[in-house]
Amino acid sequence: MLELRPAGLCARSCAFLLDLLIRFMIFTALVTVAQLLGALAPAVLLIFLFLLEWLYPVAFELTRWGATPGKRALGLKVVMDNGLPITPAASLTRNLLRTADFLPLMYGFGLVCLLTRHDFKRLGDLAAATLVVYESREARRQPLAQIEPFAPVIPVALQDQAAVIALAARAPRLTAERLDELAALAAPVSGDRGRSGPEVTRRVLGIAQWFLGRR
Amino acid sequence: MTPIQFEQLYERDWEELQELLAQMHGRRYGKKPLSVNGERVAALYRRTCEHLALARARFYPAYLVERLEQITSDAHQAIYQHSEIGLGRLMRLFTRDFPRAVRAHAPFVWASAALFTVTTLTLGLLVYFRPELILSVASASDVANFEQMYSKTAEQIGRPGGAGSDWAMFGYYIRNNVGIAFQCFASGLFAGLGSIFFIAFNGALAGAVAGYLTERGLAPTFFSFVVTHSAFELTAIVLSGAAGLRLGYSLLVPGRQTRLQSLVTAARESVVIVYGFSAMLLVAAAIEAFWSSAGWIPLPVKYSVAALCWIAVISYLLLQGRRAD
Repeated sequence: MLELRPAGLCARSCAFLLDLLIRFMIFTALVTVAQLLGALAPAVLLIFLFLLEWLYPVAFELTRWGATPGKRALGLKVVMDNGLPITPAASLTRNLLRTADFLPLMYGFGLVCLLTRHDFKRLGDLAAATLVVYESREARRQPLAQIEPFAPVIPVALQDQAAVIALAARAPRLTAERLDELAALAAPVSGDRGRSGPEVTRRVLGIAQWFLGRR
Repeated sequence: MTPIQFEQLYERDWEELQELLAQMHGRRYGKKPLSVNGERVAALYRRTCEHLALARARFYPAYLVERLEQITSDAHQAIYQHSEIGLGRLMRLFTRDFPRAVRAHAPFVWASAALFTVTTLTLGLLVYFRPELILSVASASDVANFEQMYSKTAEQIGRPGGAGSDWAMFGYYIRNNVGIAFQCFASGLFAGLGSIFFIAFNGALAGAVAGYLTERGLAPTFFSFVVTHSAFELTAIVLSGAAGLRLGYSLLVPGRQTRLQSLVTAARESVVIVYGFSAMLLVAAAIEAFWSSAGWIPLPVKYSVAALCWIAVISYLLLQGRRAD
């Protein structure tokens, strides 16, 4: 099963506004360039306006990144709802149906639809079977800092082992005091129930090493 | 097995898969993507998926699971990359898929065409006998504009005085007409009501203008102007309505599917018609801008070309792509 994390209202609105700004800037640039074309200028401008209005998102969604520049800036991309790259037909559908989402005004229907669904689809996404998701981040390869491994004194369930390892992974980003507090919760594994302090913390982190397989 | 052993044991597979994916995308070796051994990629992909499942089931540390998620999702995207864009696909669309889709949607096309024709004829006759009624669909200044555009003294037929060149009008027709057709399609999502409104409104407007100008005795200039490009334009508007009606109908009568599934199927099938009518509107815009408005072309030529266009469009939609592949 693939991990897809649908993007919510805030991220998508920001991406939309950013795209709006980019479109506006492209158009302003075009108006300037079009002056050079003389008689052809109005035609070129009108055609580009049409392309910007309707096909700007389609063109960008079909690139390898599957996202408009605004979405890319916010780390979003559009995929089919089974996680596959978006198809041209789906991209066209979801972007033409923007018209329906926009009604009655200011994306009213799209907003209601998006907010009432757990996967944040607007009407266009429903019809096109697409999903706006967060781009998977570069995996953090964060091998834990080497500490003397320490054997747990009681048998520990797999979930709990994972929790202790996760704590060890977060250790560098926590203050020493907070780390001690959290380590105190896990203290029973090192036989330190009810105690806390740097010494207990060191043992708990050592146990994380042991769970990872260092002996 | 401990997480560290697991990582050491299989890391080489994951790295090889990442390497192959990077080669496919051409990320690491300059711009040019290299072709890679597909069998090997698929085998590694399946293996890495197994590793991911194991890592999750055994509650391995988050960094390990995340890393495997990243690799498998990259591979998934690369393996199922679509190859829908291309010249061959475009050819097939127009020689086969589009006319077939139109025929597959015949009931919707007929309904849309009937609605358009009925409103056009009704408003046309009404306005012909009571010209003041045109003010119910267009403002007084628009009406004055229409009259001036098709008057016998207009230097270029079908354009308000001071309008731009042929090219400017070409741009205007594309933006305006394709936009209307897209809206007509999209608003079908509301149980088809939006499409019905747009078809009826466009039919009414066309009928009213035709009725009014005929009553004013400007029929020759008006009809010689519209008759050629309307072969593409009116057909395209009717088709956009038909595609919209299909969307609405899929929601009202989903059959054995859920409404959502039914909508997805309808959208996937009707989008072929959207490709088709967009292309037709481009052709219509070109004809309208460069041919229809030309005053120097004798009427008999215009009408013969128009007849050819109508025959071509209708027989294309009826006959093209019928042969089994």
